[in-house]
Amino acid sequence: MTPLEIGTASVAAIVILIYLGVYIPIALGVVSFVSIWLMRDNFDLAMNLLKIALSDSVMEYTFATVPLFTFMGLIVSKAGLGGDVYEVMSSGFRRVKGGIGMATVGANAVFAAVTGSSIASASVFAKVSVPQMLHYDYNPRFAVGVVAGSSVLGMIIPPSAMLIIYSFVAEQSVGDMFLAGVVPGLMLAAAYVGAIWLMGRFFPTFVGGRPASEYERLPWSEIASKTLPTLGLIVVVLGGIYTGWLTPVEAGATGALVALIISLVRRRITLEAFWNALLETGHITASILFLITAASIYSRMLGLAGLPNELGDMLAGSNASFFTIMLIYVIMMLFLGTLLDTASIILIVVPLFLPLVEPMGLNLVWFGIITVVGAEIGLLTPPLGISCFVIKATLNDDRISLKDVFLGALPFASVMLAVLILLICYPQLTLAILN
Amino acid sequence: TETIKAVVIDGYPARALWVKEFSNFFIPEVDKILATTGNYQMDWQESYGGAIVKPKGVLEGVKLGLGDIGIVTTIFHSSKLPSQSISAVTPFIAPNSAAVARAVDEIAKEFPTMQKEFEKQNQVYLATGVVLDTYQVFSTTPIASPNDMMGAKVAGAGMNLRYLEGIENAAGVRGGLTDFYNMLQTGLVEKAILWPEAAKTFKIAEVAPYMLSVDLGAVNTKTVTVNADYWAKLPEEVQIALRDVAVMYRDHVAGLTMDRASASREAYVAAGGTIVEASQADREAWAAAMPNIAAEWAETLNAKGEPGTDMLQAYIGKLEAAGYTGVRDWAAE
Amino acid sequence: MLILSSFRGPVAGLSRLGNGVAIGANVIGTLVVLGLVAIVNFDVVARGMFNAPFLGAVEVVQFSMVLIVFLQLPDVVRVNRLMRSDGFLVLIGGRYPRVASVMRRVIDAVSSVFMVLIAIAIWPEFTEMWETKDYFGVPGVFTAPWWPIKLVIFLSASLCTVIFLLKVLALTDKPDNVSVPEHKDAQ
Ligand code: NA
Ligand code: NA
Repeated sequence: MTPLEIGTASVAAIVILIYLGVYIPIALGVVSFVSIWLMRDNFDLAMNLLKIALSDSVMEYTFATVPLFTFMGLIVSKAGLGGDVYEVMSSGFRRVKGGIGMATVGANAVFAAVTGSSIASASVFAKVSVPQMLHYDYNPRFAVGVVAGSSVLGMIIPPSAMLIIYSFVAEQSVGDMFLAGVVPGLMLAAAYVGAIWLMGRFFPTFVGGRPASEYERLPWSEIASKTLPTLGLIVVVLGGIYTGWLTPVEAGATGALVALIISLVRRRITLEAFWNALLETGHITASILFLITAASIYSRMLGLAGLPNELGDMLAGSNASFFTIMLIYVIMMLFLGTLLDTASIILIVVPLFLPLVEPMGLNLVWFGIITVVGAEIGLLTPPLGISCFVIKATLNDDRISLKDVFLGALPFASVMLAVLILLICYPQLTLAILN
Repeated sequence: TETIKAVVIDGYPARALWVKEFSNFFIPEVDKILATTGNYQMDWQESYGGAIVKPKGVLEGVKLGLGDIGIVTTIFHSSKLPSQSISAVTPFIAPNSAAVARAVDEIAKEFPTMQKEFEKQNQVYLATGVVLDTYQVFSTTPIASPNDMMGAKVAGAGMNLRYLEGIENAAGVRGGLTDFYNMLQTGLVEKAILWPEAAKTFKIAEVAPYMLSVDLGAVNTKTVTVNADYWAKLPEEVQIALRDVAVMYRDHVAGLTMDRASASREAYVAAGGTIVEASQADREAWAAAMPNIAAEWAETLNAKGEPGTDMLQAYIGKLEAAGYTGVRDWAAE
Repeated sequence: MLILSSFRGPVAGLSRLGNGVAIGANVIGTLVVLGLVAIVNFDVVARGMFNAPFLGAVEVVQFSMVLIVFLQLPDVVRVNRLMRSDGFLVLIGGRYPRVASVMRRVIDAVSSVFMVLIAIAIWPEFTEMWETKDYFGVPGVFTAPWWPIKLVIFLSASLCTVIFLLKVLALTDKPDNVSVPEHKDAQ
């Protein structure tokens, strides 16, 4: 078999196994192991691949960002900072048609800057903003759609587990990836707000809702006490990274400590909740990093097979255009996004496309943002859309079916796709902040 | 004509100087030599930049047969390859890549120690590479002598953090090359130890426009090795070609490094940097105040039954013969 | 089912033991998370305020990452949180529960084989590091030994093997609903 055939066959095998329900890291590891064994007819070499991937992969200093930002995100969720920001936002947007929806987007954008995962965002806002939207007679589909759509901001606006994963696979600086995520994340939030306004204007029944007349304006003191802790945390973390005072790892640790202090001062956390946050951090870290380790077995297998070399030669010989490659890339991500989670998509497609993209002189930080935004669309698409699952599970309300969540999220997935196309066409949107 | 497959690995990307020259110099030279008889032809698979291993994983990758030929970055492996630190533990001797590369390579070939260390890692030593001309001190504020470093925070990496033990109250701050710009800009550190080419690449002149030229010295960081099982199966003709070209590659890369070094100094000045030459007395004082890390190094090897002291003496002798005398005789104590 | 019932006693006992060890390792791993937060903050403060950076921060962080990941991994497997997309299994399970059950057991069996391969691959690395006392880091600045890392990976992979096997031998057809304390959120 040629490297290209092995590469294609292994990708197909991995996708099928994952679809059948095989644990994702096991699917990646087993397929890679078997591929090497067959390809070189050498069992020892396959074992050696396991050895080097295991000792080489976890021992990465920047990986400490995963537990540190996860822990920080869990603490701020438990301390109720997401709900606080949301209350302030919804008092601000109260007069606009679809205002609570816009407030949800805004609060998500702010909360995203202190949490690293879309799942945290989805579960927090399903709890605080969906009930309120239903109370004001918003269309349930719209209500859950807004929460699902804006939850993806959690992984585009830094800190973000997905940006960390990409930076590892593509060997880019975590700090650069974080900074590059800021503008695309804010753009997406603004596009959502704009889309909600348009929906309210042209499809008022899809949005629903009535003006919140009984809403009282929050006093300034309360606005301050509800937003300052979050803003302070954002300044420490993103400010620390932007100015270079802190490495991303240090920013994560400092952020975790500050979040802990905030929640203690406000008496928002019990010892049990604290311990559970630590436990959950460990579980998330172990499952993400084991996944990354397995993915590195896979990408090394592709390397040994010589797939990157062959793809590079093919590209040189075919004069495929930038447009063709990006089109294939986006379609592939959307296709995989129907079934796979964001991390798996990144880990599968990036090693395949890097050897194509790098010689074209494209910026790999920009490519990472494209990848993360593209892969995150999958959070909103059926049959496997993790954000939608989380919302359905968190709401636990029989009146809202999973189908409602997916249908409600669809307009937001389309907005994401539009933003993705903009980001592809104008790399400066992503990269300007780095210079 | 028999075709022989060779997988070449490095964790650094193809644009790195030594990787680029492996593609553009080493491989064509080997092909050229083999073509003269036409008995053998190589089928090269070049896998760089993390395709198979990361920079720290090359040693293990060649050991385990994931690559047939590798460019090992030796400074990551002070434990498995202790004798490779030979030039790092002898600062203030030779700010010349070519001289250091040749001296280290000759030590590797005249004494069994370095080759034995690689043998234990299941690989065959081919040649030493030197890709930095000499460490210097870069500062955010004007600097006239090493005394201006007292009490300062200084960014460094690896063995050069130990050089700082010779400066009163200087605190070494560890960082990767890519972090130095930020560290200097934010005032996290006031000084940094790196070499002029890196200073140019990372635009250090913008944040640390004062360079104290102290010539801490060139350091060997790369070694070309071959998996031992693979080597044993190679025909002698190919073995000889690889060995010969490895030595040519050693001198070729060191030469390019020196060319780049002077260009980098000029670029540093053009970008607004000022270079101050440290006086001989200052260099002597710094060296004298340092612990004798060369003697520590030799002791450690001696304790393992290796000729540490002899290697140290021979190495310093070779540099002296090449015209480089240090400000402190590390071997004399 | 007759054959299975004679396994009931030993399997249940082994199950308690294996899960108990996994929970214990998990607690240690959890404390390492806390230690990680503490050590990095210590370095930031010591460097920023006292001009005295902790030169071993990088090695200690690398070391803790290995401990966190591999001490927690068996527990991740135990509580069914290893990443998978089980939509298809759930779908099949609705109509053909036995088929889904067999599929789950096959998947767990394959997983345990993979974990055994990891354990076998890493064991000689451990013995070699134990004998040579190899370390990483810069001598004279800060160094840490390799062998505990290899040992933790070996033990973790072995324990994961056992826990996957226990899932293969599990007596119920549906996956156990392991209650995870962290999910009853104090929101
Ligand atoms: Na985020
Ligand atoms: Na999906």
